[in-house]
Amino acid sequence: MTQKVLKVKDNDVLGSTNEFLRHLLSSGKIQALLVPQSIPSKKVVYPVLIADPKKLHADIIAPVLPVATATVVSKITKVQPPSKPIGVVLRSCQIRALIELVKLNQASLTNIVLIGVDCPGTFPINTYAGFPEKKTPTHFIIDAITKKTNDAEQYLRSACKVCKDPIPTNADIILGFYGTDIEKEIIVEAHSEIGKDLLKDLPLEDEKEGNAREKAVKEIREEKDKKRAMFLKEKEGIKGIEKVAEFFDKCVNCHNCRQACPICYCKECLFDSSVFDAEAYKFIRRAENKGLFKMPSDALLFQLGRMNHMILSCVECGLCEQACPNTIPLMEVFIPAAENAQKEFEYHPGKDKTEKVPMIVYREDEFLEVGEK
Amino acid sequence: MSKEFEPNILGFLCNWCSYAGADLAGTSRMKYPSNLKSIRVMCSGRVDPSFVLEALRKGVDGVLIAGCHPGDCHYQSGNYKTNRRIKLLKKLLMELGVEPQRVRFEYVSASEGQKFASIVTEFVAEMKKLGPNPITVDKK
Ligand code: SF4
Ligand code: SF4
Ligand code: FES
Repeated sequence: MTQKVLKVKDNDVLGSTNEFLRHLLSSGKIQALLVPQSIPSKKVVYPVLIADPKKLHADIIAPVLPVATATVVSKITKVQPPSKPIGVVLRSCQIRALIELVKLNQASLTNIVLIGVDCPGTFPINTYAGFPEKKTPTHFIIDAITKKTNDAEQYLRSACKVCKDPIPTNADIILGFYGTDIEKEIIVEAHSEIGKDLLKDLPLEDEKEGNAREKAVKEIREEKDKKRAMFLKEKEGIKGIEKVAEFFDKCVNCHNCRQACPICYCKECLFDSSVFDAEAYKFIRRAENKGLFKMPSDALLFQLGRMNHMILSCVECGLCEQACPNTIPLMEVFIPAAENAQKEFEYHPGKDKTEKVPMIVYREDEFLEVGEK
Repeated sequence: MSKEFEPNILGFLCNWCSYAGADLAGTSRMKYPSNLKSIRVMCSGRVDPSFVLEALRKGVDGVLIAGCHPGDCHYQSGNYKTNRRIKLLKKLLMELGVEPQRVRFEYVSASEGQKFASIVTEFVAEMKKLGPNPITVDKK
């Protein structure tokens, strides 16, 4: 790993990251950059693929994640990966999701340079869009890192409050905000050969003395681990068919959660298929059986089916919860389920490209005890 | 007045082993409850957890999946993989406290007619105790 320093001019964190990215794109070594960038209204940032450095006005520190960037990278690389490198700027949860998609053959890392950014968390889209202009991304990142006020922490999405790991892993380049005086300097790390090569010619300063970064990373990881553990302890309460049904009782079966999820990639979801279609007499029979029949009737099965399909790869990004029109706190069920199912299969989604997804492998000596009640 | 609850059990039985095992139980006139309806599959590996969920939804009270013993699957690994899939499904049902007992995976060879009969007997008794499946839409 090589560590360098990007100087921040006039406390303008955002401007400095943009200068860095423009240099990167101008180097000629990458043909395009996928970055979060504001649309003209300035209210939301979307992943934007940029070819011309002059058009780059990214918002990589804007605390909002409207869509799964991992899904966007899948779109770009699935049919045919790029022939020359492109850089993609991702938060840690989206790198984890992308690694899962690669394992599931839904994306490729060929000629993809992963640029990870430290992520102090994101806000719900409407919260972010509603901020007055003076509450800029720079304001929030400084606040989130220095914790001078509670401005950033209080708005965090529930998934971000208990984030599994705010520091990117598996990235070629990391832009680090923890462990530095962010108003003055940003840490830039290269974790691979291509990462090193890309940083070589950029206007960066050499690494500083001391291990402030290491210490800060350890601290924030410990803090998040603690919060996540507390969350898991508090949320073990949703158990039993009645409680589960009640938890999902605002679910209108719109499947937005599935649409927003980076892991749910199936082209044809079972729950959109005709499997659950039936003749009128069957509906009437259902009504006659109990005297009444509520519709739609598949919400609970949809949730169970979706979970069963993707929970081992769930990266806890919370985009499902963000997408739910009826604000069902999905993470209260998904985080405990993911934690426990992943533990059972000793699987760590997004951690290691070579770790195979559990449902395609097996060991001959495992789970020999069957038929348990 | 109230009749005893008779659970509906659906069995996905592998052609090469448990289906033959069930056959053996039948031809040897071993007694087991008639609550089981079976679907013959060419390998337990054909059973997708969504089949199980669909069956539960459609009113089955318990689902039995039976495959060849470890090392005996005609397609090498169908039984191992299904075992994993069912493990995951049961784990989720357990997580949510939604009666994981209703789903059961077993190894039954073609010669294990007796084992097959006792598994079904035991499973039916257990489902009787558990009562009707609460997530069904199709039954009383
Ligand atoms: S299920 Fe929800 S939290 Fe998990 S990966 Fe999908 S969108 Fe993210
Ligand atoms: S987004 Fe919300 S309402 Fe829509 S299917 Fe998912 S949980 Fe149900
Ligand atoms: S052939 Fe019997 S389980 Fe695969």
